[in-house]
Amino acid sequence: MSAAPLTGLRVVCHASTVAAAYAARLLGVQGAEVTWLEPPQGSDLRREPPFLPGGERVSALFAYLAAGARSRVIELDTELGRQQFGALLSETDIFLDDTPVEQRAGLGLDEATIARLHPQLVHVSVRPFGAFGPKAQWQAEELIVQHAAGEGYLLPNGLTTELFPDRSPVKIHGHFAEMQGGIAAALGALAALWVRPDLGGQYVDISSQDAMLSVGAFAIQRLGDGSVEHRVERSFRYGGVIPCADGYVELLTLEQRQWDGLVKLLGSPDWALAPELADNVERSRQGAMINGHIRAWAAVRKVEDIVREGQKLSVPLAKYYTAGEVLRDPHEAVRGLFQPVQIDGVGTLPMLVSPLHIDGKPLALRGGPPALGELNLEAAA
Amino acid sequence: MKPLAGIRIADFTVHNAGPFCTNLLSQLGAEVIKIESAMRPDAFRKPHPVYGRTGPATFDQVASTKMSVRINLKKPEGVALAKRIVGVSDVAAESFRPGVIGRLGLGYDALRAVRPDLIMLSVSSCGQDGPDSHFAGYAPLFGAWGGLSDLTGFADGPPVEMRHVMDHTVGMNAAMAVVAALHRRRATGQGALVDIAAREVASSFIGEALLMAAAGVEPGRTGNDHPRMAPHGVYPAQGEDHWLAIAVASDGEWRALCEAIGQLGLAARFPTEADRHANRGEIDAILADWSRGHEQNAAAALLQAAGVAAHASWTTPEIAADPHLHARGAIVEVAEPDGKLRAAVAVPMRLSKGPEIGIHAGTPKLGEHEDHVYGELLGMSRAERDALEAAEVIY
Repeated sequence: MSAAPLTGLRVVCHASTVAAAYAARLLGVQGAEVTWLEPPQGSDLRREPPFLPGGERVSALFAYLAAGARSRVIELDTELGRQQFGALLSETDIFLDDTPVEQRAGLGLDEATIARLHPQLVHVSVRPFGAFGPKAQWQAEELIVQHAAGEGYLLPNGLTTELFPDRSPVKIHGHFAEMQGGIAAALGALAALWVRPDLGGQYVDISSQDAMLSVGAFAIQRLGDGSVEHRVERSFRYGGVIPCADGYVELLTLEQRQWDGLVKLLGSPDWALAPELADNVERSRQGAMINGHIRAWAAVRKVEDIVREGQKLSVPLAKYYTAGEVLRDPHEAVRGLFQPVQIDGVGTLPMLVSPLHIDGKPLALRGGPPALGELNLEAAA
Repeated sequence: MKPLAGIRIADFTVHNAGPFCTNLLSQLGAEVIKIESAMRPDAFRKPHPVYGRTGPATFDQVASTKMSVRINLKKPEGVALAKRIVGVSDVAAESFRPGVIGRLGLGYDALRAVRPDLIMLSVSSCGQDGPDSHFAGYAPLFGAWGGLSDLTGFADGPPVEMRHVMDHTVGMNAAMAVVAALHRRRATGQGALVDIAAREVASSFIGEALLMAAAGVEPGRTGNDHPRMAPHGVYPAQGEDHWLAIAVASDGEWRALCEAIGQLGLAARFPTEADRHANRGEIDAILADWSRGHEQNAAAALLQAAGVAAHASWTTPEIAADPHLHARGAIVEVAEPDGKLRAAVAVPMRLSKGPEIGIHAGTPKLGEHEDHVYGELLGMSRAERDALEAAEVIY
């Protein structure tokens, strides 16, 4: 059996925010041994909602982020803690840290100290605005990063802006921007590690704002083309979120053959067969009219029927799945997207593993989230 | 030193997710050879009326810093030529529908025959296996299938479709996985087949919600609300369509905010997070009354000075001009073919021993790097290349 790609890699994660924690998860699910370095009261993420049902206020967010990791409590503000931390880092390849920059020197976590004591270590700083720059010390939560990186202003679009043209922008669910920081941190860590044989360790400075901006790069590209995106005009000329009798589908036809398939799906109505609509530029111009017809057609049909018949005709269509529907989706059952894990205080639950398959097989989690300080208890036993 | 210097990638990817992946790797130093053809030009080389573009793009972010060669993969000689490029590459990347690359004769097994330790990346909507694997898709569909879009939006409104951020995060995940696979190759000598499913990337952003659903609590859309923090929202600022995002994470930050806006009485009325969350509608209205009278950036600076997380909701031009992003090298200027400068987005990291990472070339012309790839890398003679051009293999 093939080994997970990062088997043998040792990662220490000192995280109180999602970005650094997510980087650790990404490395861990690919085979790295991840140790969460926590204060005696545990990472702040253990106290972040939502909480799983039951009396113990078990954070679903922490459970997801820390699944498969081990936990070690070290008091970094004590001399003994510093010694323990130094010994731990001496056996570590990648150190992920989201401590505010101004607090690092007092804890021995600053770039210079770590580089001096651990010259082979890849030291990854993960902060909302990075460790360098005029805003490095600005406060941020997820919502702030989305708006500082541009996508915040550009959502919602399509049907929501039609329905609520005067409302504020709305954020992407959860921790999307911080997780971009986490993905960039994992990429940066592995890239830096790749050249360690030549260069030794180095310092990787990750900003969730940079990472979110990076995935939103198309808006910058369009700006260079002379066009400023705005959420109201950002809608597809036709297609998009289509209300059906029992839910919503997403419809997007970018290529001629997909439009042809859509016309067949709609029953080849006269309006769709009008010669001028054979031209995609003209279809763009008449998008509102087209969407009016599509919505009227879909409003009396069920999502499952539309998706099934549409996919047969190679029309790009997708049902808007709820979280529960993703969990129960037969496709994901075949793909092995979920794995049962034990969550203390809750029981065994299916948890998303990874969107990656390696050598034709899904990756695997080492287990559920760690009990606080479990490695200390094992060492003492 | 660019960390991936010396790594070569044969890039068959199309659309956005796959090309974004290989673009990130190219910015980190990999030599990426974009394999394309005049028969089926890449989307950025054509008009894109759905997005309102009536001609080819003069700069394409995801094609920048790459090399371009022409190969007609419909011809057996073209497939053979592509294999020669793969034979001198560490990575092959593709993003066709599952099965297409195999039918072209360039599937993993065929390519392993020419490069046994190859890392092959396949990017697709739904993954290489499973009952939906043949489904076509784009970013909004990934978000819909993956559950992310259903959870995004106002509580009383429809789901919100994801746009290019969805494509590109698939690409960034893929880039990370490729480098991870390179590490395994270094350790074991073993190549890898990396299969990434875009809809599952969308699901990976709702891991906590999926756990809640598994525990019997189906989550729903909550707009800009946060399950713990209040106030937490996007408030109107002075001027047309200007907004201010504010998130208060602690009692201390709340007191600081109340003091900063001159309404200390509010701190006493709603001293705890539970008080604030229960009364967030009333608090939001009070904050909106205040924010409407303030310029968005000044208001953000005022709140940040008090230690409160806040930022103006920035438009793209504001981001492109941001001194912070420029100082970090996150926004860079690139030259168009006519020399005109424009903003582009750099790979999102700063490396202490790799300050030169980033975009170092604009969009390649179709076939621009054939002298290097066919001549220098593959050692093909001018006559051999001419014959392949005449036969519309290099085309």
